[in-house]
Amino acid sequence: MFHRTSAAVLALGLLVAAPGVGAQDARQIVQEAQRRTDARSQQYEGTLKVFDAKGRVTDKRWTFARHGSHGTSKAVLRFTAPPEVKGVALLVINHPERASDQWMWTPAIARERRIALQDRSTRFFGTDFSFEDLEERDVGQYEYWLLGEETVEGVRTWRIRSRPTHTKSSQYTSSILWIRQDRYAFVRIENYKDEQLVRRLVYRHLENVQGIWTARSLEMSDLRRKSRTVLSLEKLQYNVPLEDEDFTLQALRREQ
Amino acid sequence: MMLLGLISWPYVRRHLVRSLLTTLGIVLGVAVFVGMHSANEAVLYAFHRTVDRIAGATHLQVSAGEAGFDEEVLERVQSLPEVRVAVPVIEAAVDTGLKGQGSLLVLAVDLTGDRSLRDYDLESGDEELIDDPLVFLAQPDSLMVTPEFAERNGLDINSRMPMWTMEGEKQFTIRAVMRSGGLASAFGGNLAIMDVYAAQKVFGRGRKFDRIDVAVTEGVTVERARVAIQRLLGPGFQVGPPSSRGQEFESLVSVYSITANISSAFALFIGMFIIYNSFAIAVTQRRSEIGILRALGATRGQVRTLFLVESGIAGFVGSLVGAMGGILLARGVAGFIAGLLQGVYGIAQRADEVATEPRLIAFAIGMGMATSVLAAWLPARNAARVDPVQALQKGKYQVLSAGENRIRRRAAALLGAGSVLCLLFGRSGWAFYGGYALTVVASLLLAPSLALWLAEALRPALKWIRPVEGALAADSLIQAPRRTSGTVAALMLSLAQVIGLAGIARGSYGSIVDWLATALNPDLFITTSQNLATRTFHFPESMGPELRKIPGIADVQMVRSARVTFRGGPVMVVSVEIAGIAKRARRRPVEGNERDMYRLAAAGEGVIVSDNLAELHQLHVGDVLEIAAPTGLLRLPVVGVVLDWSDQLGTVLMDRSVFTRHWRDDLVDIFRVYLAPGASAPDVKSRILERFAGSRRLFVLTNRDVRDYILRLTNQWLGLTYVQIAVAVLVALLGIVNTLTVSIIDRRRELGVLQAVGALRHQVRHTIWMEAIAVGTVGLVLGLALGSVNLYYVLQVAARDLSGMRVAYGFPVTLALWLVPIMLGASFVSALVRTRRVGGAWLARRGARIRVG
Repeated sequence: MFHRTSAAVLALGLLVAAPGVGAQDARQIVQEAQRRTDARSQQYEGTLKVFDAKGRVTDKRWTFARHGSHGTSKAVLRFTAPPEVKGVALLVINHPERASDQWMWTPAIARERRIALQDRSTRFFGTDFSFEDLEERDVGQYEYWLLGEETVEGVRTWRIRSRPTHTKSSQYTSSILWIRQDRYAFVRIENYKDEQLVRRLVYRHLENVQGIWTARSLEMSDLRRKSRTVLSLEKLQYNVPLEDEDFTLQALRREQ
Repeated sequence: MMLLGLISWPYVRRHLVRSLLTTLGIVLGVAVFVGMHSANEAVLYAFHRTVDRIAGATHLQVSAGEAGFDEEVLERVQSLPEVRVAVPVIEAAVDTGLKGQGSLLVLAVDLTGDRSLRDYDLESGDEELIDDPLVFLAQPDSLMVTPEFAERNGLDINSRMPMWTMEGEKQFTIRAVMRSGGLASAFGGNLAIMDVYAAQKVFGRGRKFDRIDVAVTEGVTVERARVAIQRLLGPGFQVGPPSSRGQEFESLVSVYSITANISSAFALFIGMFIIYNSFAIAVTQRRSEIGILRALGATRGQVRTLFLVESGIAGFVGSLVGAMGGILLARGVAGFIAGLLQGVYGIAQRADEVATEPRLIAFAIGMGMATSVLAAWLPARNAARVDPVQALQKGKYQVLSAGENRIRRRAAALLGAGSVLCLLFGRSGWAFYGGYALTVVASLLLAPSLALWLAEALRPALKWIRPVEGALAADSLIQAPRRTSGTVAALMLSLAQVIGLAGIARGSYGSIVDWLATALNPDLFITTSQNLATRTFHFPESMGPELRKIPGIADVQMVRSARVTFRGGPVMVVSVEIAGIAKRARRRPVEGNERDMYRLAAAGEGVIVSDNLAELHQLHVGDVLEIAAPTGLLRLPVVGVVLDWSDQLGTVLMDRSVFTRHWRDDLVDIFRVYLAPGASAPDVKSRILERFAGSRRLFVLTNRDVRDYILRLTNQWLGLTYVQIAVAVLVALLGIVNTLTVSIIDRRRELGVLQAVGALRHQVRHTIWMEAIAVGTVGLVLGLALGSVNLYYVLQVAARDLSGMRVAYGFPVTLALWLVPIMLGASFVSALVRTRRVGGAWLARRGARIRVG
């Protein structure tokens, strides 16, 4: 889903109070949230902590680079630690009208594999994110309803329900978004499958980075598995010089 | 019941050995039937269960023969709206290097999506067990094993275990253990899961998958999805439910199954003759009792029923013991079959469980009883016809009337003519098998007359050897043909079967040796496994030029074999550089012009087919063959038919360029290496091993190694035939023993009189010996004669309906010569044992009784 994905893992969500945006309809709010995260590119180093139901913690690190505008962007996520997974990469090429193309690169066998559309609902390599959660989708692929306003951790938010349109294939039947009224930044997203809450994403440590309000910590909880994954962002930069050719399968192979 | 208690039980107790012998016939037949079927079923069941367990929630499987297909096919299948999930699979049975573990079935899947189809039921709950799913995918040495396998080998998470790969033996890491049951119980628990992309590298598969497992979209019928996938991929692909793999396996092993069925039927047939003989003896021995019973008012029906019930009880007891023996036998045979399948077809299969199928046991017992009752029918009828007065006139009933003989001869002539007509004009299977049956029945009808004529012909010779004893022995046979006709018929049939089986075994063996000499003439063979039939690993084509650079190598030919579907059944496609074969291993075609055959095949304008494929599918030169290839239907004319023993279901030989183009497969299974003049095979072998040490899993086999391997396999396959031969000989021997027993018992009075009139004991003994040898000789002559006809039919059956292999007719002279001393020796030994009793206290006692009587 666009708002969740872009705000969560890839674009991370940045909201600046926009003049003229007051009481609006739900779609406008989400569109404005997207507009405020616009950047030519983005780069960061992420630390991933997976807390499973038994309290075990797994650590991983990755570098993330994204290039292009919303809906047509390309991103590469490359694991840097632990050593066993170093070099494993995921290339995501987003399309505004359909699901993204995703490939995983495994350096040990020097092979890429396509992540099939049917597999997008599966967990992203043992984390609580799914492959679908890594997609960047266009606002137009969802329908929105403003459910009301709510104060979350002392901050006023809009509470919006979204549902994929019939052209969009998603594991989730609906989601509820909380968007800060002051910065148009996402605060929380709850994802439902047949009215059952399955995943919750919480945005924390909102900071202004190069004029873009960005959550530096994201926590995704899988409510059925009772596990959670915390992604922390370091060395975050926007509008860094990146080239289109850095986001191809050839580039993945080259940089192994 | 009363009669059984009064008459039958005391007889059984008095003749315990005889009763056991009677039961032995059934025991033998039922044991072989149950053993063979249970073992066969166990192997098939194990295969089906493995397929079933591995299939999980799979609705359809997409495959394109053994060679696999390109990765891009997966995306095409996934794009169909009728498909909910489509996941790639590679399956390989590999050696683990762990002692006593045999093959490990590696199921390589893409774990990112495969969980939608298969429930791995991980030991510590869901995915947590894979300590880190990313590590599992990132490291190509990752394995998930079953708890049984882990326990057997003392393995735990992060343990290391060896496994053969394309690059030799490598260490793999256990990164997950499944929970018991379900998928984990497939292949006897010797199952491991690995990443499909890692498997491509480990097993040298290139960018190919073996198959795609599909689950259809909710609301879509499986048939609709099947049609959609088939339409999308074309006829080069097979799309069907997982169970269709079982059908393919069954058709692959059908040759073996038919052989097993024939063995079972043959064993029962033999058992029937043993029972017939034993009951014929019983009727003979109890003629006085029967006479008394009849005199006391017992009806013919009661007498007949008495014998039939006896035979039914004997059949039941024998069947029960046979069934138990069969179950024990099955355990050994199942392992043998599994080994044979791996050797012949390259299919690793484990048949650890031999289930006792109640229906099979019930059927076997019913069949054993029915056989027993059927075999006892004639003796029971004869018993019912015993005239109380005639019962006291020893020997008289054994005479066959001239009229009876004439009717038999006429019927035999009629049936014989029918069988010839079937042979000459019958085209259908019914006509052929009908003709075969008519021949056997005609022979059985003729047996008494032929035995009589032969006995008459033998009389001068016997008389010349021993004037008195010889004449007496010959007359005994001539005057009582009924007594010996059963034995002679059993002997004849058994020996005919021996000749038929030995003939086909000898012919096949000889033909294979000839084929080995012409077709398999390279000096060295480089393979990925010691078992030439296993094609788990493959070589890259680039190895060919590397090999050619090795000093001492003059020529290298690349061979790729793959089982593909042709006319709904599996056949073997062998791709090789035909021009090279024409130069080095030129074979004369059995149909077609040699020069054109090689020219057209080398140019990719036709295929050469094996004679067995041509026979099984009625193919001739000029016919266009349609073979399903991943790129579509390959249509090429047959340009020649050659004798080929590569595969029992038929071989299509095509140029490598054709295969590479249509299967998009440039892998190599075997390199055929010809040495330069003066080069030493051991030296070149060492250089090859040295050149690829540590980088390739390969075996360098000398021509002798390959020949020995194939001949060993042939012997293993023919092992079943040898068992049948042994059983047939055993039956023949039992027949002789039985006949002599009847003869002696029946002639107590005559032998007593002989002694009374001054015949010495040794003269009586000699008479019996000579009679025994005469019976053996008659049976032997008739058996060899019928055997020569039977061999013709057996060869036809094999060519028509089994393997399609045309084996040249060759009478097994050596075996026939061996049979002469065996049968005559056995006759003599049986007689020797019997006459000891005759010449000793037994005869004195019997004689005294006779005199008093």
